[in-house]
Amino acid sequence: MSVDTKKIKKNAYRVTKTRGKTCLRVRVPGGHLPSQYLEIIKEIADKFGNGTVHLTTRQGFEIPGIDFSSIEMINQLISPMIVGLEKEIGVPLANGFDKGYPAAGTRNVSACIGNRVCTMANCDTTALAQKIERTIFPNDFHVKIAVTGCPNDCIKAHMQDIGVIAQVEPLYDETRCISCKACVKNCQKVATGALTMGNYKVERDPHRCLGCGECILKCPNAAWTRGNKFYRLVIMGRTGKRNPRLAQTFVQWASEDVVLGVIKNMYKYIDKHIDRTLEKEHVGYIFDRTGYNEFKNVVLEGIQLNPEIRIATFINFHGSIYDSQIIFENVTKA
Amino acid sequence: MAYILTHAEFDTVLQRLKQDYILIGPVRKKNKGKFSDADLITYGQIESLSDLETNGKSQFSAKETIFPPSQTLFYFTEDEYREPKFEPQKRIVFLRACDFNAIKRLDLLFLENGQFVDAYYKRLREKTHFFVFGCEKSYENCFCVSTGTNQCEGYDAFLNFKGEKINLFPSEPFKRYFAGYEENEDILPQFIERNHIQVDIPEGLSTKIYDHPYWDQYGKRCIGCGRCNFSCPTCTCFTMQDIFYRDNKNAGERRRVWASCQVDGFTDMAGGHSYRKQQGERMRFKVMHKIHDFAKRFNMHMCVGCGRCDDVCPEYISFSQCISGLKGVVAHDN
Amino acid sequence: MITNPYLPQPAEIISITKETTTDYTFRLKTDIQPDFGQFVEVSIPKVGEAPISVSNAQPGWIELTIRRVGHLTNELHELKPGDLLFIRGPYGKGFPKEQYRDKSLIIAAGGTGLAPVRNLINYYYQHPGEVRQLSLLMGFKTPEDILFKEDIEKWRSKFQVLLTVDKESPGWSGHVGLITNFVKDAVGENSSASRVIIVGPPLMMKFTSQEFIKYNIPEENIWLSFERKMCCGIGKCGHCRINDTYVCLEGPVFPYITAKNLLD
Repeated sequence: MSVDTKKIKKNAYRVTKTRGKTCLRVRVPGGHLPSQYLEIIKEIADKFGNGTVHLTTRQGFEIPGIDFSSIEMINQLISPMIVGLEKEIGVPLANGFDKGYPAAGTRNVSACIGNRVCTMANCDTTALAQKIERTIFPNDFHVKIAVTGCPNDCIKAHMQDIGVIAQVEPLYDETRCISCKACVKNCQKVATGALTMGNYKVERDPHRCLGCGECILKCPNAAWTRGNKFYRLVIMGRTGKRNPRLAQTFVQWASEDVVLGVIKNMYKYIDKHIDRTLEKEHVGYIFDRTGYNEFKNVVLEGIQLNPEIRIATFINFHGSIYDSQIIFENVTKA
Repeated sequence: MAYILTHAEFDTVLQRLKQDYILIGPVRKKNKGKFSDADLITYGQIESLSDLETNGKSQFSAKETIFPPSQTLFYFTEDEYREPKFEPQKRIVFLRACDFNAIKRLDLLFLENGQFVDAYYKRLREKTHFFVFGCEKSYENCFCVSTGTNQCEGYDAFLNFKGEKINLFPSEPFKRYFAGYEENEDILPQFIERNHIQVDIPEGLSTKIYDHPYWDQYGKRCIGCGRCNFSCPTCTCFTMQDIFYRDNKNAGERRRVWASCQVDGFTDMAGGHSYRKQQGERMRFKVMHKIHDFAKRFNMHMCVGCGRCDDVCPEYISFSQCISGLKGVVAHDN
Repeated sequence: MITNPYLPQPAEIISITKETTTDYTFRLKTDIQPDFGQFVEVSIPKVGEAPISVSNAQPGWIELTIRRVGHLTNELHELKPGDLLFIRGPYGKGFPKEQYRDKSLIIAAGGTGLAPVRNLINYYYQHPGEVRQLSLLMGFKTPEDILFKEDIEKWRSKFQVLLTVDKESPGWSGHVGLITNFVKDAVGENSSASRVIIVGPPLMMKFTSQEFIKYNIPEENIWLSFERKMCCGIGKCGHCRINDTYVCLEGPVFPYITAKNLLD
């Protein structure tokens, strides 16, 4: 059997443990899809796979047990889903929509359930994930992006190359405040303690405020209301064999335009610095080589910053390092 | 006697009224709801008919137009008191029948309870005229028909929105603003006649039911946030606050803010003693006031059946269901 | 012009008597002439306002006995004679003095509960013929907490006085024990004709009432004085309401038969 593994991988299929069998990875940008598409997944799994479906950590589906010879047929079958979930949100696919996925390097943009359902979410995370998908897909660079509606970070934005955490600017109308302290007590218990009482009114420390919106949720008299939506970007979080780490804050109180611009520019940054001797290189390792300042310069290039934005002056990554050789010299060698 | 005007014609009347009055009514504040991308309907100034939100119940009632959530009573300098210079402009408040009936309850408390008239309330009240608009439909949790507050009289004008047209019933003093339009004699004001919810306020309530285990469920469910009180059109409790300004300790003010019998601190006395520590007791205190104690004093029930307390309760505690359940308790015990 | 009932009047502090380490009596220059058992709203601008019962009054002045228990009262205790306080009132319904005329009257007071009845006791001291007999039953936590010591000594000359402390301290030779233990002694014979006033903390009033009733004092012959959070004193703020009753309007003094139905 002859299979061009590089070609099929780019088409979102993979080499599997079982000789002759492949597995299709289906993208669901934003992790929320019309239930009609589940019938397509079912049909492929039942007719061409082994009757099972794996739910991926990135909110896609993997359909295993497919013969390599069925790829073309399956690409036809999956095309309504690619049309519905990619074309409809504005993803440009040069080769049409019946040839399967055009790239698999940049992973599905995942999202928490967001404000379509969740009371705590500060934005429609699925909608934003779709805008990001439209900005970056298709692309071969190996990049992981996720959107979460609040700092609870249910989608684990802190484990992504770029994690987007929605923020809301809380607006305070002291003429509606009746000093019940619900917001202050709650902020101290569940958030950062950014609120204090003074003269029976609430004072907010903007440097401690996460923009989580808890004060708005807790206020019984609409003294706290929602201002503009903003986003915090956490960057270069990762799992993996070298040194897994949580992402750190790059910017906060950024506008949606800044978010999309930074994400787009990150691909320029990767293109500029990627080690092309490797089959693939994750952006986090590129970042480790170039340092923060080069990353910052490239991703912010040409971006109109909103006045509220705050940008990290430096980022110092911590995290476990499994390979002690990375940080200790091998003294026995001499 | 009624005028039948188009929206545009009534807008002309409103512009005439604006020469002499501030117009206040329920307005839809886009994305100002507690949850992200949700609206808040609340009282605010209106410039034209399109600002008036007649489709949907406001979260807060019209009471805040004459009893603001936070009101300065005195300014202090050294040992001198000064009342705020306060000459409110004449206002027209648009409101539904339940809220207009609630104003009567506020009048009883602020103007007639005890031997003193509340000067701050009276000043605003005297400047306020009420344009009541009929409900085209009953909203969720409404039970005004059961409390007899679906109808009203004594308004300055009544409005029935009828699709493209509005039936208008101004009182004599306001008819001059309708100059140039014809009055049709055949029409009467129309009030909502049916709600989805019917409530039968139990007779024979007494302190005997105070210790009934019926209230225990609320002890478990209620979180004591006070939303039911703040959104209630008939709750009038307030707390005094004295403050001095931080940049000038010789100057300060005394103000009053809305208080809630459900929130901690309502009965706290200096020295630490307090009453009704359990939420179940507080619920009983509130419910009994609304459907028994107030009526004993003023010969009409306090509750006007607007159902806002149900609308806003984060724990889905239903006031109307509480009353209905109470009926069963009374029937069983007697 | 609408008269503003919230507008307080300045009142100069004439003198301050330190009753205990935590209870000071302030004599204020004022034209207010309260009934026995009424209260006033006292404030320090920028600090706060609170209801305080009048503990003594004569034309031209009133006295307020204030325990240091919080923000406002801490500040009050910093004041000196000549300083200004702000007051409004008097408010509430006091003791129905006419109902005690020519009767045997027993006044049971616990702790700071003596303050609201002190004025009445002083009145009877000056007009001893107005009641047939007056017995005072007073309880404090410790000898150090005893209020109005000079008055009490003075009262002994005309009235039957029973002073007890919950917990004695060295040098104390008087009674020890809760007020309820001495109700029987205070009642004596012919109880059903006696009138009784009970003022003190909620639990003290509850158990002392029960005790008096046990010794055949008819419920309708007992009066209590309530203490509640009050922000206005004039029936608006709602904090003191119990059932359909506003303590600031219908109280703070209530006949027992009313008070027993005022359940929180």
